[in-house]
Amino acid sequence: MNPQRSFVRKIVYLVALVGLLLVLSWLGQPSTGDAGGERGEEGISGLLRVPNLADLRNRYHLSETQLGEIDPAGSTIKLATLGLRGVAANVLWEKANNYKMKKDWTNLSATLQQITRLEPHFVSVWRFQAWNLSYNVSTEFDDYRERYRWVIKGIDFLREGIRRNEREPMLVWDVGWYLSHKIGVADEVKQFRRLLKEDDETFQRWGDFRPAEERDNWLVGKDWFARAEELVDKGADLRKTTPTVFFSHRPMSQMNYCEALEKDGIFEERARYAWNRAGKEWFEFGARHFMTADGKRPFHLNDVERFDGDAAKDVATLEAIEPGLRDKIRKQRYDSLTAAERKAYDAPPQKRSGREWELAYQVQEKLKVTHEQLARAIKGQKARDAALKLAREATDFERKATEIRTYRNIVNFEYWRRRAQFEQSPEALAARKYVYEGAQAMSAGDLLKAREMYEKGFAQWRLLFDRKDFPELKNDEALGQDLMEIVYQYRRVLDKSDKPFPKDFPLNDLLQLHEKAYKDRQGIK
Amino acid sequence: MVIENVLPPFSEWIRGAALSWLFVVACLTIGALVLGGFVLIVRYGPVAGTRYAVRAFFGCISDLAFMSPRRVWALSKLAVKESIRRRVVAVFAVFILILLFAGWFLDVGSSDPAKLYLSFVITATTYLVLLLALFLSAFSLPADIRNRTIQTVVTKPVRASEIVLGRIVGFTIVGTVLLVIMSAVSYVFVIRGLAHTHEVVMESLKPVGTAPPGQPRPRAGYTDSAQGHRHKVYIDSSGMGHVDSEFGHWHEIEARQGGEGYVLGGPEGMLLARVPVYGKLRFRDNKGSDVDKGINVGDEWFYRSFIQGGSPAAAIWTFPNVREGKFPEELPVEMSIEVFRTYKGEIEKGVIGSLSVRNPRTGLIAEVDVFESKDFVPILINIPRKITKFSSADVIASKRETPEGVEYSPPQNMLDRRLADRKEFDLFKDFVADGELAIWLRCLEPSQYFGAGQPDLWLHAADARFTTNFVKGYFGIWLQMVLVIGFGVMFSTFLSGPVAMLATVGAMVGGFFSDFLTRLSQGTVLGGGPFESIIRLVRQENMLTELEPGLRTTAAKMADVVAEGGLRVIAAILPPFTNFNYADWVAYGFDISWDPWIWVPTVRALAFLIPVFVAGFFFLKTREVAQ
Repeated sequence: MNPQRSFVRKIVYLVALVGLLLVLSWLGQPSTGDAGGERGEEGISGLLRVPNLADLRNRYHLSETQLGEIDPAGSTIKLATLGLRGVAANVLWEKANNYKMKKDWTNLSATLQQITRLEPHFVSVWRFQAWNLSYNVSTEFDDYRERYRWVIKGIDFLREGIRRNEREPMLVWDVGWYLSHKIGVADEVKQFRRLLKEDDETFQRWGDFRPAEERDNWLVGKDWFARAEELVDKGADLRKTTPTVFFSHRPMSQMNYCEALEKDGIFEERARYAWNRAGKEWFEFGARHFMTADGKRPFHLNDVERFDGDAAKDVATLEAIEPGLRDKIRKQRYDSLTAAERKAYDAPPQKRSGREWELAYQVQEKLKVTHEQLARAIKGQKARDAALKLAREATDFERKATEIRTYRNIVNFEYWRRRAQFEQSPEALAARKYVYEGAQAMSAGDLLKAREMYEKGFAQWRLLFDRKDFPELKNDEALGQDLMEIVYQYRRVLDKSDKPFPKDFPLNDLLQLHEKAYKDRQGIK
Repeated sequence: MVIENVLPPFSEWIRGAALSWLFVVACLTIGALVLGGFVLIVRYGPVAGTRYAVRAFFGCISDLAFMSPRRVWALSKLAVKESIRRRVVAVFAVFILILLFAGWFLDVGSSDPAKLYLSFVITATTYLVLLLALFLSAFSLPADIRNRTIQTVVTKPVRASEIVLGRIVGFTIVGTVLLVIMSAVSYVFVIRGLAHTHEVVMESLKPVGTAPPGQPRPRAGYTDSAQGHRHKVYIDSSGMGHVDSEFGHWHEIEARQGGEGYVLGGPEGMLLARVPVYGKLRFRDNKGSDVDKGINVGDEWFYRSFIQGGSPAAAIWTFPNVREGKFPEELPVEMSIEVFRTYKGEIEKGVIGSLSVRNPRTGLIAEVDVFESKDFVPILINIPRKITKFSSADVIASKRETPEGVEYSPPQNMLDRRLADRKEFDLFKDFVADGELAIWLRCLEPSQYFGAGQPDLWLHAADARFTTNFVKGYFGIWLQMVLVIGFGVMFSTFLSGPVAMLATVGAMVGGFFSDFLTRLSQGTVLGGGPFESIIRLVRQENMLTELEPGLRTTAAKMADVVAEGGLRVIAAILPPFTNFNYADWVAYGFDISWDPWIWVPTVRALAFLIPVFVAGFFFLKTREVAQ
């Protein structure tokens, strides 16, 4: 290698180094507080004002201080791994799995702490391991008090995650879920709810100073759901979570609280107030602004009735232009059916063969007269144009209503709305109270009182179903099954009292509607 | 505490171990001789090569046999001076730093803080000391050779064996001194970290229960919260107090002198060294036959087997050497069992079980205790010498199904049922036969199960001193340190410093994962051997499904067979470091018995060190020959 070539090579390296340093220093400039390019500068200045790394960090809230509290221990451990943080986290994760398999809870807990110190902003780690603690590890213990303690450990773990990731709504949501569902829907629900109410230390640690009577797990969980909603309303990302499901949990916690009150034997004004509040919160949920899954159309869950009404109005106006036209078109189409089609369509459903079912379905589709088809059949250009406009509007309203119904079904919207409405009625409250007292009397062996209470309860249910403002209530399947369960508890009381089931039972119509489905579900012949 | 690999007594172990060791050493020696001779013959020709080989062999023998302790000691002192010059005290400074900031890393809300603290100090010390040993041993000789300072040693009448041994001993002395200081600091750290007390919250004391006439009612309340927990407090009618155990400890309580209120002492029961006597476990199935394993309830870990409740099933521990002198007044039985429910049942009550004692010779069995189970918490049951309270007594034979038929012990015709027709029994006279006693654990509730492993029930013979046990725990670290020094010096005799360090790290990692390597070499790890694993990784396949049959899979499996053979050799020649780790013993509060838990690992370490030292000496000698 001659000296000149060596010299040239060194110059080339030097130039490359300087060039790289320039690029790095430009990228690594401190933030100007303004994401460049958006100022609309033109020419070279505009190009040079492309956001640097600091600007981008600020814009997307990625800096350590913006994500959450800084943990000095975590930062120290991260530095100490000398770039092998991911490897260390993997090794620790394997160790944690091993400790869990060997039921070494102390070391498992300590290892999870170490993992989260290495990966404090990896949200899945927090969510996965919190679930591990509250749902998997807790069930390994036989003592319900230990199970409760480990559920709380999982929640504390999540809270630590929230401190490190203040803008993550799912961590907050998870706390709400664990408090409400893990405690409220467990086999040990009575014990867990009691332990939570008595757990002064945990509430003190959480900085939650509400009195013991207000430490209902559903209400505490509801507050956490509310915090999660606040984060999303301020712009936090829900990632892959369905918004309707996410936002439904706060009002659902209120509903579950109402049910829990009644299971605890609390009725009358307190329950009525709780259901009333549940109804209001459900309405607020229904009024919330959502976007469809494709992100193109906004909707509100409450809007179905409005769209149905608007569609019905337009359809009525449309049909009034030429009354009877729809039936005429349908008849024409029916007349043009083949004999086989007509035979299949006219046959009673239970007597149709497989092929006839197919044919009957096809005929049904053929006989459907859409609003647009109706409008096109109207005579007179002016009337037809007006009809077409109405038809399109009505179709649009119906499509919107159908679309929103799909979203409603995800959260069982109509059921819970109806439930909140009727449960606060005096008849429902009284019915629930009598049934509760009947069950208590049955457990205490007082069959006479049990029978009396159940019968009073059924009388109240009758009054409720006879109310004009709940006309469709008796067709509600979920309520029907609920009632069948109560009826069968009453039957057990009668069996033990050697009394026959009364022929003039006040809810015979409900039995006709729902008893078969109940028996099928329970496997009763 | 979990003991997955139970060691036999030293006297039982040594025979087989010594023979295996001699066999392996003989094979390695012969192999080395043959290989060395072959290399010399190839290099120098048959005559000269053979001459060199014979000379080298006898030279090695004389070097090993005629080592001078004085020279070894002089070289050790040199190694110590060198280590001090290399600022090994820095390790101690790092250790102190770690302890100072340990509070950031330790979970103060842990339910077993003693275990956490002890595990932490032992683990931190282990890593630091092994790192120290690694750097000291791996870089010393290569640095001397590179700087030619070794010339000042080899020009003197010093044998290669003395150089190697001198360094090993010297670095061991340095490491031992540091380890002693670190153990003292750790001890203080643990004691101070766990020390705490509580105040009784007087407003919380409420009357409970009834009292004799004229005496105040007992009261129950709780203490204030400290270190993430509080205790329940009971004050009886006479004013005596009792504090419930919480987080593995309790406190002594006494009335405040000359004032109202109560004073609590420091934590008790946290730092223990229970001396356990373990028995041999077998099971009885739900038909009453003896079997080696119980039921698997679906646990992925097979350490514990389960017995069915409400049936003849039982877990049976047989203890040898149960003597009156050891247990003069009562037999303290401790157990930590697992409970498995197939239905929740009474959630607020534990599953009921019973403990029985049985004479293995006569078959006399008495159910001495019925208890409510608590899983993962040790239950202590004291069986009195004079047994007057028992739920039932009977005489039953244990039966085992064999290919020849059913075997009964004792035989059915020798069962004397009159033995059970008494109201009182003597534990030793009636239930211990030639020092042997059987303890039966049963689950009394149908459809519920108890699970146990062999070490899950033990006789609590005595309480040793925690401090002594703590020192024994650090002895395990010392053994690991000596092994690392040995390997480091050995590798440094023929490799450069960084490469020797890597090789030693490789030996350490292999040693720490020796269980895994052994299972890998036996083909019992899910996902197959190394080549099959590569295929699964690249194709992102899981570990459970079979690979697609084909040439690639066949080739990988064949390569794995070869690799597994190699892994078997590596797993055998690397010391299993986890076997020298006593952290769990100290953390869980069990005394590390001399026999076998100290003697066996010590002899094992020596068994690795001797060949490592000889190999190191040989490599250093060969370098001289080569030069």
